[in-house]
Formats: sequence, C-alpha cells, structure tokens
Amino acid sequence: MKNRFLAGVATTLLASALSVAAASADVLDTIKERGTLIVGVKADYKPYGFLDTSGNVIGIEPDLAKDVADKLGVAIEYVPVVSSNRMQFLEQGKIDLMIATMTDRPDRREVVLIPDPNYYSSGTNILSLKSLGLTEWEDLRNKPVCGIQGAFYNKATSQNYGAEIVAFKGTAEAYSALKAGNCAAFVYDDSAIVAKTNDPEWADYEMPLQTIDDAPWGLAVALGEENFAQMMSDMIIDWHKTGRILELETKWGVTNTPFAKAMNEKYNQ
Amino acid sequence: MTWKTDLPVMLPVTKPEPEPFLGLKAWHILPVALFAILGPSLGFAQTEDGGQNPLVVLMNWAPLLLQGFVFNLVISVSAMALGTVVGALLGLGQISLIPVVRGGSWFVTQFFRNAPWLVLLFFAMFLLPFEISILGLKIPFPDWLKAILGLSLPVMANVSEIVRGAVRSLPSGQWEAAESLAYTRMQTLWLIILPQCVKRMLPPWMNLYSILTMATVLASIVGVSEVMTLTGQALASEGGRPELLAPFYGFVLLLFFIYCYPIARFTVRLEKKFAVIG
Repeated sequence: MKNRFLAGVATTLLASALSVAAASADVLDTIKERGTLIVGVKADYKPYGFLDTSGNVIGIEPDLAKDVADKLGVAIEYVPVVSSNRMQFLEQGKIDLMIATMTDRPDRREVVLIPDPNYYSSGTNILSLKSLGLTEWEDLRNKPVCGIQGAFYNKATSQNYGAEIVAFKGTAEAYSALKAGNCAAFVYDDSAIVAKTNDPEWADYEMPLQTIDDAPWGLAVALGEENFAQMMSDMIIDWHKTGRILELETKWGVTNTPFAKAMNEKYNQ
Repeated sequence: MTWKTDLPVMLPVTKPEPEPFLGLKAWHILPVALFAILGPSLGFAQTEDGGQNPLVVLMNWAPLLLQGFVFNLVISVSAMALGTVVGALLGLGQISLIPVVRGGSWFVTQFFRNAPWLVLLFFAMFLLPFEISILGLKIPFPDWLKAILGLSLPVMANVSEIVRGAVRSLPSGQWEAAESLAYTRMQTLWLIILPQCVKRMLPPWMNLYSILTMATVLASIVGVSEVMTLTGQALASEGGRPELLAPFYGFVLLLFFIYCYPIARFTVRLEKKFAVIG
C-alpha cells in the first residue's frame, strides 16, 4: 500500500517535471520568461561582428540581433561563436538565435532551421599582389594560398583550382603571412577584401579575380521552432523593405552590396 | 685564531652558488619587455599612416586583455586546487596496502599522466553537457568550468605521482622506526611520513602549477574567452593589421612571464633550502 502511494507520488512528480519541459518547448516563451534573448554572433569578423576595446560585441549582426530583442521587448545577450561551434550551440539550446555570417547551404538546413528570405550574401575572392598578375582562379594551381580555418571556400579553392591552402586561426595572422610572402594570395569574403584594397597600406594589392560562390547568408533558429522562424522571416523582410541592412552597411563602413540593394528593391515594388 | 685542516666537517660552510647559469634578475624583465613590445612597434613606425601607432592600439586593448589574463589565473588556480585534492587522494591510493585500490589508482594516474592535455580538454568540452537538468531545475555548466575540469585531470595525475614519489623517497627507516614505536600505519603516514613529504613535494608542485598556468591558453582552442581568444578577437577588430601581431602576442607573453617567473625563482630557492648539502 505504502509502496503504491510512493509510486503514485513519484509518477506525479515525474509527470509534472515532464510537463514543465513540454511547456517550455516553444523558445519564444522561454525567452520572454527569461527576459533575455541569447544570440550567437561572431566576435572576430569585422565589421559583421567584432569587439570594442571594452569587450562588447558590436557590428552589423549584433545590431540586427538587437532589433529582434527590441521587437520581443527583452534584453539581449551576445555569445561569441566560431564557425565550428555555432550550429552545436543552437542545437544544445545554449543560444536562441544565431546570426553568425553563416552561408545558407542545404546540408546546414538539415541541422538548423533557416528562415527565408536570406538576410545577406557574399562571395569568395582573393587578395594578392598586383605584381603577380593573377587573372583567373586556375592561376592559383599548386600555389600556397592563405585562408581562415573552418571557412567553406577553402575546400572549393583547393579542389576546383588546385591551390594549396594554408589555413590560419584569424585574419591578422593570414594578412601577416600574405605580407611576408608566405602565400601567393589570401582567399576570403569579397566584401572584406574590397575594404582592404581601399586601405593605403595595401595599395600594392588587388582583388583580381571574378567573385565566385556568391552565396546567401542565413540566420538560424533551432529545428522545430516554427513560431520563432516565422517571426524571423517577417523581420528579415522588414529589414530589406525599410533599408535597414543598407543603413547598417553604411554605418559600419561597408560599400552597399548588390544583394542588399536588390532585396531592398524587390520588397519595395 | 686560525688553523689549517682538510676535514670537511671543520671547513666553514660555503654558500651554495647564488644563481644558476640561466637565472635572470628582476631587472632583466625590462629588456624582455622592450624586445617584445617596443621593438616591433618601432620597427613598424614607418607604417604609421595606415593607422595608429601599434603601442597606442595595444594600450587601448590592455585592460580587456588583462581581464582575460585574470580569467586564465582563475582557471589555473581552480584546476590546481581541484587537481591537488583529487591527486593527493590518488597518490595515497597508489601506496595503499589494498591491491585493488593500489592497482586502480596506478591505472588512473598512468592513464591521465600520459594523455595530451589538449585531448583531455577536448574530451571535457565535448562530452560534458552545457547544462544539467534535474527535475526541471537547470544547472548551467559553462565552458570555463569544463576547462577547469579538463585541465585538472592531468594535474591530478601529476600530483598523484608527486605524492607517491615523495612518500617513496623517504628512507624506509622512518617506517621501521615508527613501527617499532607501535604507531599504526595511519598514524605513521599522517604524523611522520606526510609532514616530511610536504617540503619535498612543494618544488615539483609549484613547477606543475607554472606549467598549468601556461597551459591555460589551450582553452582558447575550445572557445573559452581567455586572454588568447581575446587577443585573436582584438586583432580581428583592428582589421587584422600585421604589424600588431608581435606587440599583442608579446604583451600576452610578458603577462605570463611576469606571473610565472617569480614562481620559478621561488621554487629554485625552496629547492636549495631543502637540498642536503653534501
């Protein structure tokens, strides 16, 4: 009798514990309950997400994330992520939303939920000495090319064009290696390279090739969070419509990209 | 009154060598600092039109990097504390009279002592959950805590060996004398053996701490926001200017040097103090 009573109590406790878990299944409720939106952003990808001298994360993507928090009426918390852990953090529930320069690819859509439309886009290009006179991607064959660890275009550059990728931890190390002549070129995002070629210190360098792999970026929420994804879709459309992306590009010193302009026109027709 | 003798016991005690060959004096830090920070920034002074002087940039970031360094120290002290407590128990387990305990402790010690620190750190990072859920109550398990656990594993194994070695290094006469005075094994260990071991264990223990402190930068590879991670992010935020690399990494090197060098000197002093002059 006593045992059965205890079993009953245990079952009730277990059921209530489970129901708590079930109730918090929708991440939007969790965020509102917590009062904070936790967003995964890059902290080493100027100007999309980087640090100021007091250690705060700033940049285009943190600004976008702040818009989301304002819309929800909650505080914001940034978690610095890198390419190799950003999707895991989202799966684990460590972050609610990820806006971290992630290229939208089909295999990633199986792991995380990427709301449409895409919020940004970038392509791959190289920075190299003008005197090398590179004209096409095939010129990189069997030449050492600097890259960043975990960037998806490393593989493409080495497989399709036969370049020997030397991958570095950060951009500073890669730029340094390029200047020292350890590699013939540095393969990176075209928007960042354009900014670099405008720098007087890099006057001898150019972006000589046709941009390839022009790929859209996707922000992401955890799989199954349909409500949040729907909300994010509306927000992205709103960002494009109001020209928020263009405005942020200007604010952070990026030339307005063709993608952002096209999306702005598309949603204003 | 003077006399001549060749009997060693009659000779006046000569002081041991004051400094080992590579011993640096306190003021030697200064040229090291100059070399690490000023040198490169002067060398790149001609590139000043590209941006601010590297030294000025470094000064802007110094407070943040110092915060990161303090975090490294917190990780090192915590990992050392945890590793020492568990390691001491393991070490005593290794000299236990119960074969199962002795064997088990030996195996654990050897396993973790001969595993690369970074691999252990990766295991701690990716095998432990980021939060533990007990009946709806969620206890967060942040990255830095995992780093402490991961780094305390090799510390534990090394401390275990230090304890075992110190106990074994005592002359067996100590045990026999204690036994003849009817001390139990427990009493012998606590009252006679371990007090003598402490001074033997202190120098290697401090060495281990120095090594651990310098190994905390490994945590940057698994994404903990310590000084190396912050340095990388600061460099990226400055637009990846190559001339900043040397001053920034030089600064980090200097921080560790200033912290670890006194420990090394102190260890040498302790070793001399406890050394048997022969």
